[in-house]
Amino acid sequence: HQQLFEKHLVLLRDGRTLIGYLRSIDQFANLVFHQTVERIHVGKKFGDIPRGIFIVRGENVVLLGEIDMDKPCDTVLQQVSIEEILEEQRLQQQAKQETEKVKMQVLKDRGLSIPKADNLDEY
Amino acid sequence: TNAERNEEKTKKNHPDDMWWPENGEDWSDGEGGTDMDSGLQAMAEEDEEINVHNEETFGMDLDANGTTEKSSSSLQFGEAPPSPPPPPPATPPPPQPKPRSPRRAPSPPRQKLQYFPWASSRQRGRSRGQRAALGRGQMFEDPAVMRIIEGRPSLKVTKMNLCQTRAFMFPPTHPCPSTPQTPKMMQLRFGANSPRPSPFYSPSNPVQPFRYPGPATQLHPQHKRLLSQKQRKPEGWDPYCNLMTAKEKEWITRLQMIQLQSENPYLEDYYYQEYYRRIESKMAEEELGIRSKREPPKLTTPYVKKTDSYTPVVHIEGSLGQVAVSTCYSPRRAISAVHAYQKDTRLQRLDILNKIEKLFMVLLEVEETERMKTPLLSEAEERRLVEKIQRKVEHIYSQLQHHNPLESEGDFIPFLLVSKGKKLVARLLPFLKHDSALKILRVVTTNLPTLMSRDADETLPVLYPPLRNVIGGLAFSQLIGVLKDLTSLESLTTYECLELACQNKFGLSLLYALLSQGEKLLSSGVPLEPSIGDFETWTDIIFQVAGQLSQCSLVEPLLLPSNLLTLFCRYLDKRTVHQLKSNMESVTGCLALPS
Repeated sequence: HQQLFEKHLVLLRDGRTLIGYLRSIDQFANLVFHQTVERIHVGKKFGDIPRGIFIVRGENVVLLGEIDMDKPCDTVLQQVSIEEILEEQRLQQQAKQETEKVKMQVLKDRGLSIPKADNLDEY
Repeated sequence: TNAERNEEKTKKNHPDDMWWPENGEDWSDGEGGTDMDSGLQAMAEEDEEINVHNEETFGMDLDANGTTEKSSSSLQFGEAPPSPPPPPPATPPPPQPKPRSPRRAPSPPRQKLQYFPWASSRQRGRSRGQRAALGRGQMFEDPAVMRIIEGRPSLKVTKMNLCQTRAFMFPPTHPCPSTPQTPKMMQLRFGANSPRPSPFYSPSNPVQPFRYPGPATQLHPQHKRLLSQKQRKPEGWDPYCNLMTAKEKEWITRLQMIQLQSENPYLEDYYYQEYYRRIESKMAEEELGIRSKREPPKLTTPYVKKTDSYTPVVHIEGSLGQVAVSTCYSPRRAISAVHAYQKDTRLQRLDILNKIEKLFMVLLEVEETERMKTPLLSEAEERRLVEKIQRKVEHIYSQLQHHNPLESEGDFIPFLLVSKGKKLVARLLPFLKHDSALKILRVVTTNLPTLMSRDADETLPVLYPPLRNVIGGLAFSQLIGVLKDLTSLESLTTYECLELACQNKFGLSLLYALLSQGEKLLSSGVPLEPSIGDFETWTDIIFQVAGQLSQCSLVEPLLLPSNLLTLFCRYLDKRTVHQLKSNMESVTGCLALPS
């Protein structure tokens, strides 16, 4: 029963990635994470924000996996500071919003409208 | 009724139950749990009474009278609720929360296995009510629960089925025949704040799970192996490592295993099954050299009997919506859908593609049924499955054969020109009787140039393994017939036919396979019963092939049979044989004769 000694990685429905020690689970897949870190990825950079103890409600989990510490880490990803990654993320979101705006305008000009994906989630 | 019966039982079993409302009605939010407003009040009242840290909330009570022999309502999976979500069967409400009763030690201990469905958004509104109900172990009318298995999967379960979307749907009126009604149930412990340890659950006295008859869901043997390999001694002690006890982990694991049950794992859990099947076959390949025959351990899943489903709705092709079935009291004209035949080639192609898709579905069913044939089946069952397979195979075969009477391309050809069609035929071949398979082989050989030239995706090789098996079952005359097909095509000489074949991977491999079979037959000593002219054709072809092989540059075949050179040695002089040998070997890079 080594499952709670290794670090786990969980991807949440809102897109956040949390890494930490999984201390407890229950039948609903509610998770208790210890020494949690929220990892933000932008391009090839990533940054870790320490979050402490996290309790995740099961319904918000997309996937959960164990991190194999033994596996050689030959990643091309580069760790940066929190400020930097947050800034990168902000820029990324901004760019995305702008392209989205342009796209919507183009579609509107042609009389089409595509519903936004986040609305579809509420069924 | 069910509800009343449950109530009766639970009254007997839990005489000291306290704060559960008398009727199931008081639980539910009205119809089907969708009407939240009226239920909110009830829930608010419930919440005051629920002590979250109370063991009873999580249903860890042992009953004071653990003498009931038959299973309580908690295991009545079969009786699915009349309407989802079901109101849990009720127990009589006590005046106030009672102090924990001293536990007697019934022998053997009564045990209760709880099942908690993974909460999904639809259960959001009811989760609290359910949780309380679950504490009583009365949530088992949940249709998602099929069966409780007492297994011992004390392994890490990294395969978590979150957001379980599989629908374990029972038709509401049919009780599940495979529900095990066992007299023993297991009680589990949960909750770190429980005031008092149960006398049955101390670590020194681990409860023996009662084994249900029949196989339990387990992880694939390969998976287990991988997990156990990964387990090692913990390096250093973590101050928080015991937040979850082993029992709790086991409990969760068991729950998840239950969810993995399905009557059709290859359908519902395809990627997991396929992944481990491939690992298995890879290992088997490696081990084949090392050890002689060791059957790789097969995954056992519980055989869940499929309840006979019926389609209440008749759907006629081309009609909009459902069609009322006509009876003598209400005759209704069937909608006649007219499919106008179009000469349009694009539509024809679409038609073929459509047909391939439909037939593929049938093929998948055939393969699935084939997989279900285990030694555990009864005779009647096995016969039924075999019949089912035969019926479907024949259906696919006849559909492939006669696509369109107006079509001039011949049987099977339109399908063989499509990549997926080739795959379909390749997977169908193992199921066909020898005659039918031979027919397909002859179609392939007769139309080999066409097939080879119109094989843009190079998917022809997918047909090689099954056709090789068919060739392996040919008698001499049949073999000669096939070779004749290959070499006597309209407007092409034998030489030209062979030339074409030798320059195509598939063609060459097929040719090799045929020759190899001939050699096998000749050297086997079995009486060949040849027809007139067979041997002449045979030797003629040998010479022609030898001529071909020694002259032109060869492509690499899919498989180089080991007895080819032996064959050539019979008929040809040493020099030619030597020439052939070097020619063939230079392409494949391996020896034409086994060392």
